[in-house]
Amino acid sequence: MTPAIGRALILLALLAASAGAVVAFATGRRYSVEGARWTRWLGYAFGIAIGLANALMVYALVTHDFSVSYVAQVGSLAAPTWVSVVSLWSSLEGSILFWGLILGGYIVVATRMMQQRHPELLPDAMGVWLACAAFFAFLLAGPAQPFLTIPNPQADGPGANPLLQNHVLMMIHPPFLYLGYVGMTIPFGLAAAALLRGRLGQDFVGALRTWLLLPWIFLTCAIVLGGWWAYEVLGWGGYWAWDPVENASFLPWLTATAALHSAILTERKGILKGWTTTLILATFLLTILGTFMTRSGVFNSVHSFTQSAIGPTILVFLAVGLVFSVVLLAFRVDTLSADGALGDPVSREGVFLLNNLMFVLFTFTVLIGTVFPLLVEASTGKQMSVGRPYFDAMAVPIGAALLFLMGVGPALPWGAANGEQVRRALLPPLAGAVVLTAIGYAFGVRNAWTLVTLAFGGYAAQVTLGEMWLPLRQRMRGKGEAFGHAFVEGQLRRGRRRFAAYVVHAGAAVVIIAIAVSSTMGVSSEVQLRVGEVTRVGDYTLTFVKADDVMEPHRRSLVATVAVSRDGKDLGTLKPAMNQYAREREPIGTPAVRTSLKEDLYLSVMNIDPEAGTLGLLAMVNPMVGCLWLATAVMALGGLMALVPSRRRVEVIAPAGAAAVRPGLAVEPTP
Amino acid sequence: MNRRVLAVGLLVVVPLIGILVLNIGRDPHAFNSPMIGRPAPTFTLRALGGGEPVSLAALRGRPVVINFWATWCVPCYEEHAVLVAAAREAGDSVQFLGVIYEDDADRVADFLSRQGSAYPSLMDDDGKTAMAYGIYGVPETFFVDAQGRIAAKYTGPLHREALAENLVLAGGGKS
Repeated sequence: MTPAIGRALILLALLAASAGAVVAFATGRRYSVEGARWTRWLGYAFGIAIGLANALMVYALVTHDFSVSYVAQVGSLAAPTWVSVVSLWSSLEGSILFWGLILGGYIVVATRMMQQRHPELLPDAMGVWLACAAFFAFLLAGPAQPFLTIPNPQADGPGANPLLQNHVLMMIHPPFLYLGYVGMTIPFGLAAAALLRGRLGQDFVGALRTWLLLPWIFLTCAIVLGGWWAYEVLGWGGYWAWDPVENASFLPWLTATAALHSAILTERKGILKGWTTTLILATFLLTILGTFMTRSGVFNSVHSFTQSAIGPTILVFLAVGLVFSVVLLAFRVDTLSADGALGDPVSREGVFLLNNLMFVLFTFTVLIGTVFPLLVEASTGKQMSVGRPYFDAMAVPIGAALLFLMGVGPALPWGAANGEQVRRALLPPLAGAVVLTAIGYAFGVRNAWTLVTLAFGGYAAQVTLGEMWLPLRQRMRGKGEAFGHAFVEGQLRRGRRRFAAYVVHAGAAVVIIAIAVSSTMGVSSEVQLRVGEVTRVGDYTLTFVKADDVMEPHRRSLVATVAVSRDGKDLGTLKPAMNQYAREREPIGTPAVRTSLKEDLYLSVMNIDPEAGTLGLLAMVNPMVGCLWLATAVMALGGLMALVPSRRRVEVIAPAGAAAVRPGLAVEPTP
Repeated sequence: MNRRVLAVGLLVVVPLIGILVLNIGRDPHAFNSPMIGRPAPTFTLRALGGGEPVSLAALRGRPVVINFWATWCVPCYEEHAVLVAAAREAGDSVQFLGVIYEDDADRVADFLSRQGSAYPSLMDDDGKTAMAYGIYGVPETFFVDAQGRIAAKYTGPLHREALAENLVLAGGGKS
């Protein structure tokens, strides 16, 4: 029964999405109220149908209904309830179903929020969204059916991929990733609508930026959560490996970040319209490329799902999307005429352009590094990997350059600046650069690139903090306001978007510094210990106390207890473990990490024998890794602050209907 | 129309699609298995439902199909019918063997009583046989020729054509 209802809901979703797309494009050319209303209702119908299908699947997973094929594949009576729930996205079919849920949610919310302010652009945008929705519903109805009926259901199932059961972060990372990935469909539809309509006004760029920023926040968190998960679970002591699938999530982030910057120029000066739309189209296409990478079996990584028939189907979708975007751009980009000119290259605008060039260069670098091995293999038949050296060699200078621009850009004034102004803007922050480099040197940093990163980071930090402080000081001096009042009025109410951008910058600067420091300043040692033996790593003294054999319903854990002390002070114990799951031959390690902002102590079991009392231990001291997680949270917070609509914008929404479409009104006051 | 945009766009997009299309059939897990051409690792395992233990060495002289499977593996259901039909058709000319991977005997017996069986199912109790064959996941199927060498290996659920093709490589069936 359950599988049949599930299949019916998916067919309903497919029907609603495809009908909605057809109606949108058929009636959208000449705006009709009736057509727009039908499109909206079909969009809502898709959201509801796919939402119910997801609810049904979660119910089947939690109640262990093994007559549903997906449950038979990933369910297990032994699994705790939270594992049953997250199994929704632990395997191929469920993850596509979950994709549908998120897409449905985005479409419903975006439609509701935009129908009054941009009614003329909404039908085209909805046509694109629903076409994408129809594709994913088609996957669920055909090549990746989660609701097949199993005629003679077994009493128990194998359980989800143990690697994914091993840590709570697995509950959080995938939803964030999907919210980021899938969310890029919304700006894609909006950009396509702008091209189709041949207009990208100031008000619409604002909406585009908002809908790009929201998934960008999720994607930023998802990438770092993924790294955090790898760090806490995989046990090799690092958080980033340039794995094809990590790259797949990083690529759209790069283009989206570039687009967020170029959109500022589009919004302020009416320039770079075609460029901004191109970046947004590229962002969406890169998310689909990433989906293809994880679902086709072409790339091998921790993330690869089992090979399946949907690889070619996604490839067709990707190819159609790519060709559609190129043709759309070629035919329509000239209709988006610029309203202004770029002006002086030595200005903030000029730096924005450089920043965009760097991001695009970064994108191509990572893309080539990811795809190149496939090319070599297709032509020579040899398996090869470009690997870390290539990526590190390219990413380090580009990352440093971006950090440099992050300092120089906001320091320079908008428009033309004379030599004196430029000197006054660019010279003082050198103090920050010198101070941070000196601090790093005093702590023993000798790696040239790390020192360069610290110098640029110090520069950017001083500029960023200065820009955050400046309006505050003006209010406090000029109007005689108290600090608290000035902060709330000046930063959180009036200039919030500007302030929020600097919060993101501050977080990003710390992230880049933390990456540089943690990847060059760590120490590690691998040792074989017997019970009672002692080893040292960094300032820490480690004593192997005992090894235990712990049986749990779904796994067996071999747990090492290691006592930690520093400078004679007892810091408690850490318990790295090796887990053996019932259905997997290879054991999976669970490292133990002692985190602080300054440094992490990271212990990972390489081999362990409780009977003989031996332990092979990988011990590392990783500086500043904790800062990385914290700074990402700061970036996300900054993004969220920028999302909250400003007061004046709220007032504009009030008049309903077409009357609200007055270009320029929805624009925020520029500081 | 902006020809420059079109040209640059196609220049990026077409090679990308091309590379991905060329690689679509590729399986990153299974590169030419190092096992192929080597003597098949020998084993002597107890058969489900009692009787003499089955020894691979004793089967020398005709092709053997060794299928690693489990009742908790959904793709294994799909191929079960294919294997049973092929085993019935081949009769004595080819020996089929099922090796149970990480599963318990009662569940397997229950499954076979409902789905039918046509060849011995062997219990690989300590998992040593699966280890010797380097099983990555189930189902995996090995085709051993009359001389006891591994002639072919198939990963994933077998369908009729794949089974027939691989059987020919092992010197059995009709080409």
